[in-house]
Amino acid sequence: MTQGSQVFPAGGSVAAPRPERVTSTSIRLRHQLGRDWTTAWLFLLPCAVVIIGLIGYPFVSAIVLSFQAKLVGAPATFVGLANFNELLFGRDVGTAFRQSVWISIFFTVTSQVMKLVLGLLMALLLNETFPGRAFVRGIFFVPWAIPTLIAGLTWKWMYDGTQIGLLNIVALKLGVTTDLIQWLGNYSLAPWSVVIAVVWASTPFWAMMLLAGLQAIPSELYEASEIDGADVFQRFANITMPGISNILIITLMLSTIWTANSINFVYILTGGGPANATMIFPLLAYQVGVAGAQRLGMGAAISLAFFPLFLILIYFLTKRMLAEEQ
Amino acid sequence: MAIAMTRRQARRTKSAVVLLGLLFFGVWTLTPLYWIVVTSLKTNVAIYREPSLIPTAITFESYNFVLTKTPFLLYVRNSFTVTIVTTLLSMAIGTLAAYAITRLHFQGRQWVARAVVVTYLVPASLLFIPMFQVIYTLGLMDNMVGLMVVYLTFTVPFATWMMIGYFRNVPFELEDAALVDGCSRVQALARIMLPMALPALAVVALFSFTLSWNEFLYALVFIGSDSQKTLTLGLIGLVRGDTFPWGPMMAASLLGALPPVVVYIVSQRWVVSGLSAGSVKG
Repeated sequence: MTQGSQVFPAGGSVAAPRPERVTSTSIRLRHQLGRDWTTAWLFLLPCAVVIIGLIGYPFVSAIVLSFQAKLVGAPATFVGLANFNELLFGRDVGTAFRQSVWISIFFTVTSQVMKLVLGLLMALLLNETFPGRAFVRGIFFVPWAIPTLIAGLTWKWMYDGTQIGLLNIVALKLGVTTDLIQWLGNYSLAPWSVVIAVVWASTPFWAMMLLAGLQAIPSELYEASEIDGADVFQRFANITMPGISNILIITLMLSTIWTANSINFVYILTGGGPANATMIFPLLAYQVGVAGAQRLGMGAAISLAFFPLFLILIYFLTKRMLAEEQ
Repeated sequence: MAIAMTRRQARRTKSAVVLLGLLFFGVWTLTPLYWIVVTSLKTNVAIYREPSLIPTAITFESYNFVLTKTPFLLYVRNSFTVTIVTTLLSMAIGTLAAYAITRLHFQGRQWVARAVVVTYLVPASLLFIPMFQVIYTLGLMDNMVGLMVVYLTFTVPFATWMMIGYFRNVPFELEDAALVDGCSRVQALARIMLPMALPALAVVALFSFTLSWNEFLYALVFIGSDSQKTLTLGLIGLVRGDTFPWGPMMAASLLGALPPVVVYIVSQRWVVSGLSAGSVKG
């Protein structure tokens, strides 16, 4: 750095040599903090404001809130573990919460399995060469590009329980049934209906990621294997799957965090019903904390209930995503 | 379990499988999209009285209704405003931060990178309740500016993360030459890194646009008045009590879905590579 201030700028670039008071403290400080310390923190300041002020602070705040009884506009009272106690053993909110645990698990696991299978099939398909492939890829990814709320609305319309809902029209025409099916009104059917809608919108994301993984596998591996006499299933098991395993795991973890926490589809399709059949926990948090009684403390407690699980996922995801850090 | 087959048989089976796959996924993908378009073009009578897969008559009355009799255009304008501001801000903030993390030497560099990834992964469903308090205290309830602030919570980490991934792949030598020549850091960033990172900036812009345009939860929690509503929230507002006017709602849905779909189609190539580059390093 001190050298630079003595070199005269070469054609074009202009930089006045920076005068520096070189004291022993500033040398030691710079040595400890890194030579670009001041510049770095200037560049990082806006990002730091967002991360600390808009994410870090609310996150800590959520934890604090979960130990409080707080209504909007009213001062907070510290209640220790009372909120969590109510969730685990209480009635009303507690019962709803315990039900939502099972529903959330069902919802997440079912969606993820379907997304993985369908996403992989779609990726394998799109990895083949056929006329119009670029166009087909574009079309297949549209469900992911449209706003989730709009996708949800469309499926709500398709699931309409009257004879004008698309699925009922088709079901009646095909003779599968003579009665109208309440896709969203039937207690056992509703969760599956929501899952299908979510899978429809999210499969393209999986396909995109897995396709990128597939394309990274060198074709020589397949050719050599084919020469060696391996059939299509063996090639898939021994070359394809290991080749995409990293991106598959990353996609799985990312998608799980997002799916488990997404309320858009459930909100618009069923609002959590019928009779809490589709009440996943983030929606319950919304209902308790914002929409209904506005018990912010309880809402925060519900939101945080699953967070330890996500924390584990976040930990492993971060490790993988930063894997090539110097 | 090896299946004995001639080369030609294998190829024909493969073509058949590919065709089947295309058909299946084609129907799977297009059916809802088809239904949006068809419903938006049917007359109200046709929608409610004649359940048919193919419309017998085409009308634009739903579009007319949405565009002239509802605040739809206002909602679209609000969405554009919030989205564009958020996108520009996150591009600027993310680029600066990413440059610092990848190019500057300072203590704690790795922790900052980790913090960026972790905050990117913290779900909105956890933050929206305490955020309620933050926005309330800032006096930004029921205000688009509040949304702009909140949307930064997912666009900035993503933008930073994308740019980090990209900057890491740009060789040091180019800047080092400029720095030795006497360039300041800001100039090195502006004149050398940025032009090289245009594809990454494009991906960041697209994702920020799409994420902000499609956002619903925060809008639902913070916005109440029509004048501040974004498109996704406004769509719900078209519902009258328990009645969903499906014609207008599908018309509004199609219109509302156009910007992100157009943006996505225009930039398809970058999106795929950007997504995977952002999550898998190198």
